[in-house]
Amino acid sequence: MDIKTLIQTTTPKERVNEAYNKAHSVQEKLNAMVSFIDPTEQVNLLDSKSNDLPFYGVPVVLKDLVNMKDTRTTGSSGILDNYISPYDATITRKLRDAGAIIIGKSSCDTFGMGGTNMTAWTGPVANPYDLTRMSGGSSGGSAVLVASGVVPMAIGTDTGDSIRKPASFNQIVGFKPSYGRISRYGVIPYASSLDHVGVFTRNVKDAALSLEVLAGRDDHDMTSSSLPVENYGDMCVGDLKGKRIGIIQNVIDSIHNLETLNQFKDLCQKLESKGAIISSIHLNEDLMHAFLPTYYIIANAEATANHSNLDSLRYGVLKEGQTMDESMILSRTAGFGKLLKKRFVIGSYALFTENQEEVFRKAQKVRRLIVDDVKRVLENVDVIMAPASGQGAPKFDDASIDQLSKEYLIAENYMALANFSGYPSITVPMGMVDGLPVGVNLTAYAHQDAKLLDIAFGIEKTTGISNVIKEVTQ
Amino acid sequence: MKEMDVQGFKALALQCRFELSDEEAQDIKNEFDVLISQMRLLEKIDTNQVEPMVYPFEEPTTFLREDVVENILPVKEVLKNAPKEKNGFFVTQKVVG
Repeated sequence: MDIKTLIQTTTPKERVNEAYNKAHSVQEKLNAMVSFIDPTEQVNLLDSKSNDLPFYGVPVVLKDLVNMKDTRTTGSSGILDNYISPYDATITRKLRDAGAIIIGKSSCDTFGMGGTNMTAWTGPVANPYDLTRMSGGSSGGSAVLVASGVVPMAIGTDTGDSIRKPASFNQIVGFKPSYGRISRYGVIPYASSLDHVGVFTRNVKDAALSLEVLAGRDDHDMTSSSLPVENYGDMCVGDLKGKRIGIIQNVIDSIHNLETLNQFKDLCQKLESKGAIISSIHLNEDLMHAFLPTYYIIANAEATANHSNLDSLRYGVLKEGQTMDESMILSRTAGFGKLLKKRFVIGSYALFTENQEEVFRKAQKVRRLIVDDVKRVLENVDVIMAPASGQGAPKFDDASIDQLSKEYLIAENYMALANFSGYPSITVPMGMVDGLPVGVNLTAYAHQDAKLLDIAFGIEKTTGISNVIKEVTQ
Repeated sequence: MKEMDVQGFKALALQCRFELSDEEAQDIKNEFDVLISQMRLLEKIDTNQVEPMVYPFEEPTTFLREDVVENILPVKEVLKNAPKEKNGFFVTQKVVG
C-alpha cells in the first residue's frame, strides 16, 4: 500500500498505533530501533493540522543521526548514549510540518561509518528475510523497519552506499537525491563532502513524494541547493520508451553469481521490450579499482576532523580524569567502538603531514578523475545501471570475501560514484537470488532527480515488485 | 607512504585523543597491510595537472543572509546535556594555573 492509499484507508491513530506496536513486536528479532518515541502528543497535535498534508498522520522513523528536539540522538554510539537533542533538524521540522508522526530513531553503524550495521552500539540489526544475515548498513535499522512493514518511509543517510545497499538487501526502494537537495542541518555528519540524506520506501512514488516534502534550500546548510523543488511524484510516469540506459559493464564483469547475472539480463530484455534503449558503458577500470581506497581516505579523514568535537565536556558521556585532557581521552576511549577507532586512526594517518600530498590530496585528485569519467558516460545515456550487489545480504559471521578482489572492489563498492559526484542514485528491487533480495541501482546526472525517479518507476512497473512486506515471524 | 607499527598506531590514536588497547592496535596493524595494498591502487593513476576535488558541486557560495540574530539556542537548552554546569557555564578541570 502506498502512502496516499494508507492515508485514505486508515485513521491517523490506527496507522500510528499499528506502526508503534509493530515496531515493538519486531524489536526482539530485528533490533532495529535505538529509541522509541511515544507518538501520543504528535498525534494529538494533528487536530490543528490540515488532513490534506502529504504525510498526514503517517508514521515514520529517523535514522539515529537525526536530531529531534527532546529526544535521544546517539548516532548509535556510546559517547552520545545520553544525548538529548536540544533542537530539530531541518528534515525533522519538514516532516512534522507535513503531518508525519515520528515513532523512533533507528539503529545504524556508529555515526553512519560502516556497511554492515554490525558496529551499532546497541548491537547488529537482523535482516527480515533471514535473521542470521545482516541488514546492510549503515542505515540498516531504517531499511528493515520499512521492509518488515513497520513504517512506509524511513530516513537514511548515504555516504558511500548506506541507503542503496541496505535497500538491495531488503527488497525496498532506497533513494539518495542529488548532493544538497535535502538539508543536512541537524544531522550528525560522517564525511561532509560525501554525506547525503535520503529515504527508504516500498515503492518509487513514495520516494518521490518524500523528496517533495524534504527537498529545498536551507540557509542553515550552506551546501543545500537553491534549485526549485519539483513535483517529483507527478513527473513519475514510468514510460521507458526511448529512455537510454547504460549498463556498467565493469560491474557486470566482476560479478560471479550467475543467478544475479541472469536476473539482470532478464530485466534488461524486459526493459528493451518496453522501448528502453539499452547499451553497455565502460568506466575506466583503474579508476574503478580505486573507488574504495579513494572513498576510505576521504571519508575517514573528514570523519576524524568532524568528530574531534566529541570531548564529553559539553555533552556526551563523561569519564572523569584528573585533567581536562585526561577526561577527554578517557571519555573517547570508552565511548568509541573498535571500528570507529580504526577509522579515526586511518583518517588521521591520511592527514599526517608526511602523507597529506601522497595520500589525502592524491585521493581528492583521483576523485575528480572518477567524477569526470562518470560524467563522460552520462553524456550519452539518461542513467547508468547495474545490480546494487553481487548477491543477497551476507551472514553476520561472513568473512569470506577477499578485500582485494575485483568483485569486492568493483561490484560491492561502485555505488560510491554517486557520492563522489553528488549525482542522484536509487536502488529498486530486482528479484530474489538464492532466496534473498537483490536490487538494481540507477544513477543520473546532477540534479536530474525527476528523470531518475521516472525511469526507476518504469523499472518498478516492469518488475512488478513494489509494496513488498516481509513479515517477521515470532 | 609512512610505514606504521603497533606503537605508531597507538601514538596516532592518542593524537586523536583516545587510547588503543594492545589488541585493538594489533588488529589495525593486521588490517593495515590490506589497506596499504588498496591505497597503492591510487599510485597507478596519473594525477598530474589534476586539481583536488573537495566538494561535488564547486559553485562558489555567494549567499549572504541579513545580519540579524536568528535560530538561537537558549543557554538553558545548551547546558541540558552538559555533564557539569554552573552559573550558565560548562565546568571542567582547571586548565590554567
